[in-house]
Amino acid sequence: MPDSPDFTILKAARLIDGNGGPVAEQAAIMLHGDTISQIGTQETVQAPEGASVREVDYGDATILPGLVDSHVHLIGIGDGRAGDELVTLPDEVLTVQAAQNVRRHLYSGVTTVRDCGAKNRTTFLLRDAVEMGIVPSPRLVLAGRPVAIIGGHLSYFGIQATGEDECRAAVRQLIKEGADFIKITATGGSTRTSFSLRPSFNVDELTAICEEAHKFGKHAAAHCASSQGMVNVLEAGIDTIIHGVHKEADGSDVYRPEITEKIAEQRVYVNPTLGGALTRVRMLENTADLTPSEQADLDMMRQASEIRMENVARMVDAGVVMSAGSDTAWGFYQMGDFQTEIEAHAMAGMSNMQAIVSATRDAARSCWIDDSVGTLESGKQGDVLVVDGNPNDDINALRNVADVYLAGNRVDRQALV
Amino acid sequence: MTMGSDYLLITADRVIDSTGGPPIDHGAVLVHDGKVVSVGRAAEVSAPEGASVESHHYAGCTVLPGMVDCHTHHNGFGDGRMGDELTLLADEILTVQAARNARASLYSGVTTIRENGPKNVTMFRLRDSINAGLIIGPRMVLCGRPVAIIGGHMGYFGGEVTGADQTRALTRQLIKEGADYIKITATGGSTRTSFPLKPSFTVEELEAVTEEAHKVGKLTATHCLSSEGIANSLDADVDMIIHCAFKDGDGADNFRQDIAERIGEKGVYVNPTLHVGRSSAWVLGHKRDDVGLTSREESQLDESRRSMDVKLDHSRRMIEMGLRVITGSDSSWGNYKLGNTVYEAELLVHAGYTHLQGVLSVTSWAAAALDMDDQVGTLEPGKLADVLVVDGNPAEDINDLWNVRDVFFGGQKLERGSDESLAAVRQQPALL
Repeated sequence: MPDSPDFTILKAARLIDGNGGPVAEQAAIMLHGDTISQIGTQETVQAPEGASVREVDYGDATILPGLVDSHVHLIGIGDGRAGDELVTLPDEVLTVQAAQNVRRHLYSGVTTVRDCGAKNRTTFLLRDAVEMGIVPSPRLVLAGRPVAIIGGHLSYFGIQATGEDECRAAVRQLIKEGADFIKITATGGSTRTSFSLRPSFNVDELTAICEEAHKFGKHAAAHCASSQGMVNVLEAGIDTIIHGVHKEADGSDVYRPEITEKIAEQRVYVNPTLGGALTRVRMLENTADLTPSEQADLDMMRQASEIRMENVARMVDAGVVMSAGSDTAWGFYQMGDFQTEIEAHAMAGMSNMQAIVSATRDAARSCWIDDSVGTLESGKQGDVLVVDGNPNDDINALRNVADVYLAGNRVDRQALV
Repeated sequence: MTMGSDYLLITADRVIDSTGGPPIDHGAVLVHDGKVVSVGRAAEVSAPEGASVESHHYAGCTVLPGMVDCHTHHNGFGDGRMGDELTLLADEILTVQAARNARASLYSGVTTIRENGPKNVTMFRLRDSINAGLIIGPRMVLCGRPVAIIGGHMGYFGGEVTGADQTRALTRQLIKEGADYIKITATGGSTRTSFPLKPSFTVEELEAVTEEAHKVGKLTATHCLSSEGIANSLDADVDMIIHCAFKDGDGADNFRQDIAERIGEKGVYVNPTLHVGRSSAWVLGHKRDDVGLTSREESQLDESRRSMDVKLDHSRRMIEMGLRVITGSDSSWGNYKLGNTVYEAELLVHAGYTHLQGVLSVTSWAAAALDMDDQVGTLEPGKLADVLVVDGNPAEDINDLWNVRDVFFGGQKLERGSDESLAAVRQQPALL
């Protein structure tokens, strides 16, 4: 912009910096270029003498870090179709969909996403398009294709590896293509040919993947829909456990405190992905005349959701750090609504402030990008969310988005071209 | 249409229905089920008794059919890069760019486009995305890849063939993939390995394409940057001549009355693409005003002024002869970005059309050129309700087509986003 001022000062009744401390009152934050240059009160924050400044006073609002969604599937449509179906769409169509999704998520207040699995090179090519300036998007932390066993969960996206050598080769290939981290499916999942209650890779294979990723300064995150998967990835040196479902191989729900202890001890992040079930439950609750199979679906999801929230509460009590990640646009959960995931964290027993921290600082930490985003601190990137109201009192205030700033620039959330 | 309303009634100071008559003062368009039901004076147009109606009145405005742009390149950026460069981008990126261009164009009031040269299957994939409801875009008349000789213009997009059998086979392949018409490059062009002053295919090769296309009811159009390409295309029964540059093999500008007369006799459409040259001249004009030009750029600017004058002159002659000259922008090629179709219609007015004829050239005549006139291009009962509302009166000043108030697409009012984002789509003129 030719007439953009040197400094932008945002003022609001409250500021939450993402570190979990008390809410600051009558706060102000100053942006300079792409970074945060100053934070304080409306009195203390001042631009240098003679500099051009734009001031925006948001009144009864709260300034927060732009949200960090540590689990998305950008190529997803969120209309309930299975991944097995989604993957039959051509890569060009999936990339177009990803471009729609990043825009929606950005406009809803998310300034960083970690994509946990896409087909072929679609997300890497999306990033190229973003860098060319043709797609408005949050910052992208990308896995590319997940590393899966033959027939394993998400294997249809393009990587099926067997044995340590192939696992290592898969990691090297992904890093060559531009992967920022490695996603592993350590148990089966919704993929038709996979077994969600069983582990997929052996520990030696998982270890090879984690080792290879760490060698190049990349982290590894593993999908775990049952307990043995968690046991295996903890042994392999994983950095984030996704879903973190405590379930035995026979399908019984058994909370295993010793696994939780190990997660806490190894400082592994857990991304519990609670919002998808909550969204589906609400959708069915608002549907008149459910079919018997939909009713059964609803009952099952309510129960499963309750158990998962209880287990999340137990893990939080045991000192496990949660990283909020929506898993949109998987299943029926569409992008542009990370707020439901954060709300679900609060429903699971986290305080509103803890839920916010899980979606800002801790999500950024789990993505290994906390040196630049996730909290409001001078020197960090100018990724800022402003919402009306006070999300510390009412977590749903996060939905009242007043403005979003990305790298110091106000996002035109109405732009559709 | 809002939920529950059966009818949509649009009224304004005037309606240009694009059937060729004068604007209807105090006009109205009634829409039902995505189609136009009736058009006339507001006093005489109304929904059936008891029906629910969503009404929109636009004071000071003109209602007309959504624009039809007969010549687009949705993969393009309009930032001056060569096609040879553009084609190096991954198909996925080109499809994302096409999606963006399609929105820019639709929000500017263009509700039907013909695509003249994308890479591989990118535009079919874009249309798949639209049909799947993932994104929005204008109605599309697609060619798939242009048919080119080896090294010929746009050969890099994936359709290089030799001999009548291969041109026939490629035509069948494109139709199988979903092509609505066939685009052929009958001379070279900006493609580095091509020869703009020389014809590309032989007449036999061209004939195999037109025969095969016509057999299944599809039209054809040829890119012609020199006269022999036009003559060959006419021999082969091509339906539209694109660019239609009357240039001899040595580069001399030479309006060929004989060829122009044949175009007229055969009723072939002409898409002169006047603005794409001006858009490049504007880039130089802006640069001259901002930082000054090198002597090489000065002479480029002189040459592009001269060539624009020649093209305007030739177009004027064709218009005077009564040839079917229609609007096709050629954006986003060269420096011409999609969303700026009006500039091309404006230049056809410079070339001799009345303002109202300029409107027809980008609505009903353009639709007829695409064989889409049974569905779009006019506001008549039974047509799809693609309706543009602009401030002012484009029948008196074609530039009023810029003043878009609303776009209705199949009877749905489009959300077009923030004014700033829409304003940013328009390219700014430079003094030439």
